[in-house]
Amino acid sequence: MKIGKKNIHKLNDYLWEIPASFRPQYMHVPARILASEILLDEIMEDRSLIQLVNVASLPGIKGASMVMPDVHEGYGFPIGGVAATAYPDGAISPGGIGYDINCGVRLMLSPLQRFEVTDRLEELSKEMYAQIPSGMGKGGNLVLSDRQMREVLKEGAAWAVAQGYGQKEDLAFMESHGKLDMADPRLVSERAKKRGKDQLGTIGSGNHFVEVDYVDEIFDTAIANAFGLEKGQVVILIHTGSRGLGHQVATDNIKTLMAAMEKYGIKIPDRELACVPFNSEEGQNYFKAMCAAANYAWCNREVISWEARQAWKNVFGTRGGNLKLMYDVAHNIAKLENHTLNGESAMMIVHRKGATRAFGPGFSELPEAYREAGQPVIIPGSMGTCSYVLAGTAKSMEITFGSCCHGAGRRLSRTAAKKQVNAPVLKEELRSRGIYVEAGSFKGIAEEAPVAYKDVNEVVETVHASGIAKKVAKLRPMAVVKG
Amino acid sequence: MNIEYLPHTADIRMKIKGETPMQLFLAGLLGMSHILKENVCRETPEFRKKAEIKLSAPDLTCLLIDFLSEVLSISYTEKAIFCRMEDVVISENNLAATLFGTGISSLDEEIKGVTYHEAEVRKNSSNCWETLIVFDI
Repeated sequence: MKIGKKNIHKLNDYLWEIPASFRPQYMHVPARILASEILLDEIMEDRSLIQLVNVASLPGIKGASMVMPDVHEGYGFPIGGVAATAYPDGAISPGGIGYDINCGVRLMLSPLQRFEVTDRLEELSKEMYAQIPSGMGKGGNLVLSDRQMREVLKEGAAWAVAQGYGQKEDLAFMESHGKLDMADPRLVSERAKKRGKDQLGTIGSGNHFVEVDYVDEIFDTAIANAFGLEKGQVVILIHTGSRGLGHQVATDNIKTLMAAMEKYGIKIPDRELACVPFNSEEGQNYFKAMCAAANYAWCNREVISWEARQAWKNVFGTRGGNLKLMYDVAHNIAKLENHTLNGESAMMIVHRKGATRAFGPGFSELPEAYREAGQPVIIPGSMGTCSYVLAGTAKSMEITFGSCCHGAGRRLSRTAAKKQVNAPVLKEELRSRGIYVEAGSFKGIAEEAPVAYKDVNEVVETVHASGIAKKVAKLRPMAVVKG
Repeated sequence: MNIEYLPHTADIRMKIKGETPMQLFLAGLLGMSHILKENVCRETPEFRKKAEIKLSAPDLTCLLIDFLSEVLSISYTEKAIFCRMEDVVISENNLAATLFGTGISSLDEEIKGVTYHEAEVRKNSSNCWETLIVFDI
């Protein structure tokens, strides 16, 4: 099946639609693409749109299956996909969340300016690399007992705070305050727990990283002030998820749900979209295990923040001040949320796979200081380019179920990136531009080279122009730590 | 060549072939092990790690994906990569095998999951079993 421009209707400059009539035998709703025309042409080059069309077949899907402008081909769902299904009997699909449950990003603010850290960057990046365990399948410094594991899965980031690995003030500045109440540790397999036992406080590998950035440009002064951002300020960006524990929860449940589909008479065009009714026994078991894995991920990012704070203190001492959490957002998750569709408000199960929640001003979960501004949305770019802080808007609630993009989006396969990029040369080139890279391997640097990604500026301009999020600040990297 | 790595924007797409289902499963095992640690099976003289596997699945495609998922999980929990299969019994819905591998202290690539996406075990025009497998990286 090939999807061409002739199959895509333009709704406006940034919204495109493949009508349900394209595959009436299984599409329950249209498929929508939020993208500029330039990005749409790029998106059509891989299989993202076929996967988007398949998502429109999920039982109980509401409105439209959607992709954000950073979309790229995944497996089952495209990466950058959003699907809302009816509560309580619409589909829950682990494929719509991904193997890395609650992969997400957080941004921490320092009181120091760029000029105050420039001559200590090499030392800082080495100290960060030493303090924050990274790399393929690597364990960390904490080994959880069975009781501690249950507490982490139940309490999320609050566990780290209670144990002295976090700051109490951080909790208000996390999506869902770093904890999903429906988590049930008993539904996480022993194997998953075993895989997660020694991985708390580790970033892993692939596109996960810890980055030292500075605020290069402010676009919206009022919102930047509310978020505590100022020009020249040094900030720390952390990107990772639930590690092996989350991967195992997904693996265990996709298998279970696939076997259960027949019982519920569900037929889907791709097995990786395996799903069951949310309110079925299998659906509830998966959702509660997913919530537990999401809590593990929030706890993981909180412990990594503690490690980053240690590294920061070791380098700058008391003059470095405290690293304050600006916000922490998930981009691989399913949440129960209220949304209004065709004038009617209803609870929905919102799947975001490579997409960020972007709720607008007035959202009661937000800390008071952010309530008028809207929810912070953090968009990491590729290694040598820039990242963005955005703010969610009321319009995102109207057209994307309160969702936004999650990054630049890959455009080159890892193999192609490795063929095109000479990693030692790239490392030196980045160094000459003032960016220190501490990585476990040159292979990891090549795979994550800027050339492997879309232009993050074009992606962010698209979401800004479409009105689903507002540009607040642009960040530029100074040091990158990765596995 | 029974193992071929094909382009995929973000993940790894692998095509495997085998004259029998057992050869196909072995190609899947070796292909996955090579992703985790390049050439580990070729360069290891002796396989001291052992794991018993017993699985059931609705069809041969699910059986293959579930087999690789099971091996991957054991690889992470036991910190080992598996390269050989013995005492193999495979039917349309069941698999039993003893795996042999080697302990490892680091990986070249971390596989998050073995997906069912695009997987379809079938006989091709040369009467060979084949399928695609997409790994989430």
